[in-house]
Amino acid sequence: MSLCSSYKPNYFSIDDILATEERLSCKVLQKVPRLGFMDHSSESKDLKPGTKLELSFWLAYSMNKSKDPIASIDIPKYYKESYREILNADACAIELSKWNTYFYEFGLHVAKFDHPDCEKLPELLLKTFKSRFRLVMDWAQNQDTNPMIASQLPMLERTIFLSGRKSKEQLVYWFKIGGGGIKTTELIANHKKRKRSTFIENER
Amino acid sequence: MEEVDEVVEENAEFLEESDEDGGVTAQSVLQDIENAWLNEKFAPEILPHQSDAVECMLQQISHMEDNMKSLGKGSMKSLIHQMEINRIRFIISSYLRCRLEKIEQYAMHILTEEAQRGREDGYLSSDELRFAKDYLSSIELLFRTLALQHMPNVLQKFEIETMTVKPNIHAHVFLRANKRITGIIVPGTVDEEVDFEEGSQHIVQYSAVADLVKNGDIQLI
Amino acid sequence: MFGRRGVELVKELDQSLDSIPPFNEELITEILEEMQRLYNENRIDVNTRPDDHETYLSIKVRHAVLKRDKRCILAYLYNRLRRIRQMRWEFGSILPPEITVSLSKPEVQWFDSYSKCLATYMKSIGDNHGLNLTSDLAPPKSLFIEVKCIADYGKFEFGDGESVQLKKNTYHLLPRSECEQLVRQDGCVLLSPRSLTVNCKRHCERKDQETKRESLSACRSL
Repeated sequence: MSLCSSYKPNYFSIDDILATEERLSCKVLQKVPRLGFMDHSSESKDLKPGTKLELSFWLAYSMNKSKDPIASIDIPKYYKESYREILNADACAIELSKWNTYFYEFGLHVAKFDHPDCEKLPELLLKTFKSRFRLVMDWAQNQDTNPMIASQLPMLERTIFLSGRKSKEQLVYWFKIGGGGIKTTELIANHKKRKRSTFIENER
Repeated sequence: MEEVDEVVEENAEFLEESDEDGGVTAQSVLQDIENAWLNEKFAPEILPHQSDAVECMLQQISHMEDNMKSLGKGSMKSLIHQMEINRIRFIISSYLRCRLEKIEQYAMHILTEEAQRGREDGYLSSDELRFAKDYLSSIELLFRTLALQHMPNVLQKFEIETMTVKPNIHAHVFLRANKRITGIIVPGTVDEEVDFEEGSQHIVQYSAVADLVKNGDIQLI
Repeated sequence: MFGRRGVELVKELDQSLDSIPPFNEELITEILEEMQRLYNENRIDVNTRPDDHETYLSIKVRHAVLKRDKRCILAYLYNRLRRIRQMRWEFGSILPPEITVSLSKPEVQWFDSYSKCLATYMKSIGDNHGLNLTSDLAPPKSLFIEVKCIADYGKFEFGDGESVQLKKNTYHLLPRSECEQLVRQDGCVLLSPRSLTVNCKRHCERKDQETKRESLSACRSL
């Protein structure tokens, strides 16, 4: 019995923590004393203005989002105009996970910055998703699709694909068997498999 | 064939028996529970509880089990009655399990909302409320033991605002209108106003129809 | 370091979706130590240079790291609890030792406390009528199921007092509701799901020919 599973990240959400760990280029605007170690290439005790750094979103956001920002940010190239053209041409042909595994989730966070390129970002994400969704759905519904194809998809699409695939499998099983079968739960089956392989390892 | 007909008739009569108040039959209670079960499965948030119906149905099951004892074990009638009982019990279990899952997932959020409603209007039964409180305090205790107490003072707080997990009430749901409903506002880039004909089916954001689900005008499917 | 270790904790869980990895006390301690260090540095700065704008910036950055560390640790604990919770529903109220060895003591205590919470609730359902929510997990299609025992289980007692010996490689016809747990927890293996027909056939062998034929056709239409 699964509950409504639309994407809604929360404080404890693993995907959200990983998505906010993705990095952006930043430039330090003000001197920050005693934090020079953040710049690996410098020996300085203090973080100097003008230093270029790659920071995770969560840190970049707290350093940028205020009336007096500590650092300016540059949004990743795949959310910019030139890449937008590529997506408009044929979003389905791109292996999005190569650009960023958390393409959509990270994009939603990046859109919060006050940067000119961020205005059109939500629209871009929505458009990309709409054009690719049909492809993901077809892959999920077709039983001959190689499940390894999921690794080519960014995380949001991957979750949808895997869940679509699982429900297709359940439907097919139900048609064949007619429901009512009791199966060993996946958790326990995997647990036993692991026990067996550990046992074999120990015997060697 | 005759025996089966007899059993089916007996069952139907049994379920159609009204209670002393004269309005409610076991069959209608079962239907109410089935509807509540489906609504609960598909609604993102927890819905008002149906403990009265559940209690009533469980008592019916007890009656049926008592009646069965007189039929003798292994008779055709008892097998069919047993099947019926198993199926009713499954529906009730599934319904209550779904609610428990939501209570666990959204414990903080649900308790905050319940506190704002009067005891009479609460969505949780008193047993569910107790479960929710116990569950939440067990989590707080673990957090405190393994992490919070070891953190600097300023960060030891269990921050309700940031840590509350909320259901996504904007998720889309499939529904069927039980009667004609006008003036539903569908949010979007442009808010649209639509009407639902009786018996029609739609996909719409849950937030647009939440109240209608709770008052029975709409059935989630 | 500086806020990067927290993510490693979270990644451990992301990489082991169907099990629970051993409790990483070492990494948590490391992160807590970083938090204490950062907090001390902030405190020193606040006390020694309270009005310095640049120092304020350092404090702000360190605070962001503190919050991140806290989030990672709590998310790690929370997601582990969700998995432990799932185990109560799948393994039952006693966890196998291979699992408990991966849990910290407070987590084992949490499991017991959750079991108790759940049991109290289940007993109270329907005005203290009681209902075991951990059974009836799938819609019942038949009353009995044929099972093959894949391990020596011993004596299995039914609700009505009758019992059966479950020895390895034996076949049995058991009431579905009573042995559902066994099949899910891998003591037995489901053999034939369409067994209402089978059961009816056997049951009717006791009755005369005519009744048998009628009952069989009734079963098929159910």
